[in-house]
Parts: sequence; C-alpha cells; structure tokens
Amino acid sequence: MKKVMKKDSVKNLVLLLASVLLPVIFNAAGQSYPILIMCFAFLYMIATSGLDVVFGYCGQISMGHAAFFAIGAYGSAMLNRYCGIPVFFTMIIASLLATLVGAVIAYPASKLVFHFLSLSTIAFAEIVRTLLLQSPGGITGNAVGMFPKSISLFGFQLNTYTRFYYFGLLFLVLFLLFKYRMVNSRVGRAFIAIRENTHAAGGMGINVTQYKVMAFAVSAFYTGFAGAMYAHLVRYIGPDTFTMKQSVMFVTMMLFGGTGSIAGPLAGAFVVLVFNEGLRAFEQYQMLLYGILLLVVIVVLPGGIYGTVRSFIKKRLAEKKGGQVDAA
Amino acid sequence: MLIQVLVSGSVLGCVYGLIALGYSLIYKASGMMNFAQGDVLTLGAFLGYTFFSMLGFPFFLAFILTLIIAFAFGLGIERAVFRQLKAKNVLPIYIVLATIAVSYILQNACQAIWTTKMLSFPRIFPIDSLKVFGVAIQTESIFCVAVSILCMAGLHFFMKHSRFGTAMRASAMDSKAAQACGINTSLATGVTWAIAAGLAAMAGMLLGPIYGVFITLGSTIGRKGFAGAVMGGYGNMYGAMVGGVLLGLIETLTSSYLSSTYKDLIAYGMLLLFLFVRPTGIFNEKAITE
Repeated sequence: MKKVMKKDSVKNLVLLLASVLLPVIFNAAGQSYPILIMCFAFLYMIATSGLDVVFGYCGQISMGHAAFFAIGAYGSAMLNRYCGIPVFFTMIIASLLATLVGAVIAYPASKLVFHFLSLSTIAFAEIVRTLLLQSPGGITGNAVGMFPKSISLFGFQLNTYTRFYYFGLLFLVLFLLFKYRMVNSRVGRAFIAIRENTHAAGGMGINVTQYKVMAFAVSAFYTGFAGAMYAHLVRYIGPDTFTMKQSVMFVTMMLFGGTGSIAGPLAGAFVVLVFNEGLRAFEQYQMLLYGILLLVVIVVLPGGIYGTVRSFIKKRLAEKKGGQVDAA
Repeated sequence: MLIQVLVSGSVLGCVYGLIALGYSLIYKASGMMNFAQGDVLTLGAFLGYTFFSMLGFPFFLAFILTLIIAFAFGLGIERAVFRQLKAKNVLPIYIVLATIAVSYILQNACQAIWTTKMLSFPRIFPIDSLKVFGVAIQTESIFCVAVSILCMAGLHFFMKHSRFGTAMRASAMDSKAAQACGINTSLATGVTWAIAAGLAAMAGMLLGPIYGVFITLGSTIGRKGFAGAVMGGYGNMYGAMVGGVLLGLIETLTSSYLSSTYKDLIAYGMLLLFLFVRPTGIFNEKAITE
C-alpha cells in the first residue's frame, strides 16, 4: 500500500513538473497558442471536476452548470465594473455567489430524481440566460455582452497567456487538493452513500437533503470560479457563451473522462477541448461533426475514454497474471 | 384584440401540446427523455418547405411525405441508438446525451443541407384570413389548431380503442407481462418513437407558414414543450395536451397584456414551479415520483 502511494506521488510530481516547464518550452519555440489552449483546459478542468462532485460522487445530475459558469463570469465582471473591487477578489465573491445560488436551487430540487432534476436544472439555466440577455437596466450589457479586465494580483497584471497559465495551474492544484480531501472524508463517504442508495443512506442517519445541497453548492463554487477565470482570460463575455450547449459540454467532458475520480474529469476536459479546437478547421460543419463523433463515441464506448482504457489495462493485467477475467 | 391573442395563444399551445405529447409517449414507453424532439420539428418544417415550395407538390402530399419520413426517422433512432444503448445497460445519462447528440446533428444537418437564413413558407390557402366574430384571423392559424385537435382526438381513439394502441399501452405499462400475452413489445416501443417524431414533424409543418422556417425554430419550442408536459403531468397523454395548450395561452396572454420582455421566463418559471410544488402535474400522474 505504501509503495503504491509513493508511486502515485512520484507520478503526480512528474506531471506537475512537466506542467510547470511546459510554457517555458513553448515560449522558447515561439508558440503561444498551445499555452492559451492549456489555459482553457485548466478552467474547464476545474469546472468539470466540480460537476464530478455532484454527479460522480453524489449521483445527482445537472444539465444547467452553464448557469453557475455565467454567474461566476458576469458576477466577477460586474463587481469589478460597478463596485470597483479588484479583479481577483471579485472572482472569489462571484464564486461564493454561485455557491449560494446553487444551494438555493438545490434545496427544492433535491426531492427530484434523475430526469426531472436534469429538467429543473435546464429550466434554471435558461432563466439565468434570459436574465443575462434582458437584464434590468441593461447592467449585463444584454446581447452586446461585457468586456472584463484581466486579473491583477496586488498590482501584478496577469495579462499574458504564460502568466495566466501559472495562475490557472495553481488554482487547479488547489481545487484538486480540496476535492481529494473532501471525497476522502466523512462528507465524501456520505456523497457516495447517497449515490449508491439514497434510502439506505437516509436510514444510516445521513441527512440526504443537506448533503445533496452541499454537493451542489461545492460544485457551483468550482464552476463559478471557472466562469470567472473564463471572463478574465477571454475578456469578453456574452449570453451566447452560456447556453445549454455549454452545460452539455461540461457533462460530455465529465463522461468522456470518467466520473467519480480525480484524473477522469481532467482527461475528459482536455480531450474534448482539443477535439473541439481541431474541429474548428471545418468551420460550418464543426457542430455537425461534433454531434456525429459524440453519438459514435457514446454508442461504441459508453464507459468514456478513461474508463475504457482503464478497463482494457485491467483486463490485460489480469490476463498476464493468468487470473480469471471477471465479467464486469 | 383578445380574440387574436387567444388564437395565437392556441396556435402556440397546440404546438407545445404536440411536442409534449411526444415526450410523454416516449417517457411512458421507454422511461427516457428525448431531447431531439424540438429539432425533429425543425426537420419537419424544412421537409415540408422542400416538398411544398421547392418541388411544388400539393400540400396534402407534402404533408404525408413529411410524416412518413419523420416516422421512419423516429423508428430508425430508436433502433440505431436507443436500443443499442439499452442493450449495453448504460447509465441513463448516456442515453440523454445521445439524444442531445442527435439534436445537434439534426440542427446542423438542416443548416448544411438548407440554409441558415429564414425561409418563408408560401401560403397554403388562397384565402388570407377568415372573419371570426368580426376579427380577421390568419387561415393557417385556424388550420394549425384544427389539425392539432383532430390529431389529438385521433391519437386518443388509436390508443384507447384500437388493437395496436392497446398493445402499446400494455407494453408501456409492463413490458414483461405484455410480452407474456403475446404482444410484440419491441415493435410497440419503436412505433411510439415513430409517432412522437411524426407529431413533432407535423407541428413543424403547421408552424412553418406562421413563423417561417429557420434552423432554431424547434430548439426553444422543444424545451418549452417539456414545461407543457410537466404541467399536465409527465407521462400522461391528456395532461400533455392540456398542459401544452395552457402554457401557450398563459405565455401569449402575459406577453400581450403585461410585458413581452420576459416571455421566455414564464415557461421555464412554470416548469420549475410545477416540478418543485406539484411534480405530478394537473392530472396527478405518478410516473414522475417513481
């Protein structure tokens, strides 16, 4: 057991070191586009990890995470513009706001099961989007959108991709550490119990409603922060970014990677993002090809990429050992 | 004014009702949600436009051809996607995602085949409008409401009084027991998906002449159709019709008399309200709490 732990931490350290060195290599090669892609990858990884808390661990589906993404993005931009709060603090406040909204919406929604929960989250996301498009007094810029500033940390501007890259990496690691600690605690075990059998979990004395609300709130914080990162990276936000397509993309990333794990959502977010960027070359057929590939992958590999690879490796290892391959 | 509002409300309501009916039928038969329903409506509108306007077929023929293609499409989706996934025993979320993928494909295929511009569907009837209580009403609106009502009544008789309709209800209720009685449940489920697609495509053909034909015609209507279905009681045929019509009327009335800015909020607000407060809907359908 100790050996496994050691092997894992060595692997993580190597990965971290590689990520730290990556911009140096690309900058030396004069390429900034891959660094930008990695910046996007980091924020999508944070959002997808958050969604994984609610779906992968707690077993509750949300098809409306674009709403929390939007609250983080618009919240941060508006707090900075109208209240003059420095950008980094606005990101935190906006994410906390998303958390609050997540908890408020999760409370009545916690009674609903699968399909109807996904419907209510879609409806909620549509309401948020309509409010962005037709805000009272036009404070969100309506269809025009907003142009947030870049992040400034005590006067230090994160205005290059490389600077943003390190900021994103730092927060990704922090969010992952928090997730790791949470899912391996009493709270995480309660989430898993609810996922496996809600009635039994209730019978064991777990306050099901409270933990469901908690999972939603934590998840909303992750996605809200990712939204704020998006706003200050792209420095343009409009209602078109926060449609149901965005929510579906989060779900796709999570399912592609594999749910209920730390590494799964990271792999999924990266693969789907690169995939989408690659399809950009086909311009007007991008969404058509995306739909076709999505459908083919779902029908052919329903376990997600990470899950399929993992079960393939497991199978091979079992064969090598000469042991029986279990049917599952 | 009031009559015109009521007419446009019932046009929208009937379309919501037809879409909601599709959701409810599929949910009852397969326990699934089909997110492609709204985009089948778009496909129906485009097919109708192609047959009627571009190829110059008579309207009736165009209508039947569109229905046949939609039927085949519904059956094909059930066989090629839904059944495959069900056989693999995957999590329901994958099936939901698959139907969303189908909706992306439909919407973007329509864009690739036809155009991103809005097409105007030519008039179906030589007379522009009829006078009802001294108010001029667009002929196509009356046609839309009449055909929808006919169709709902027809579906009622088909489901309640025909042999195959009874078989469909039986296999939706208890698939194993129905199979033991010698009912072809596989065919029944396929036909349910086909009927749902047919209803959506028909709604598209009815709506095309009134709203115009464009690629996002169905996506909002598709999502609002959910609200109608939930309001009536998800999984209940009559609930879907009543809920859809009610939603259309409420939406049109509030947007004409109060404010049209937040027109879209009403449908989603009603959906949340019903889900949170009365998830079994007007008809107290228990399917939702199972």
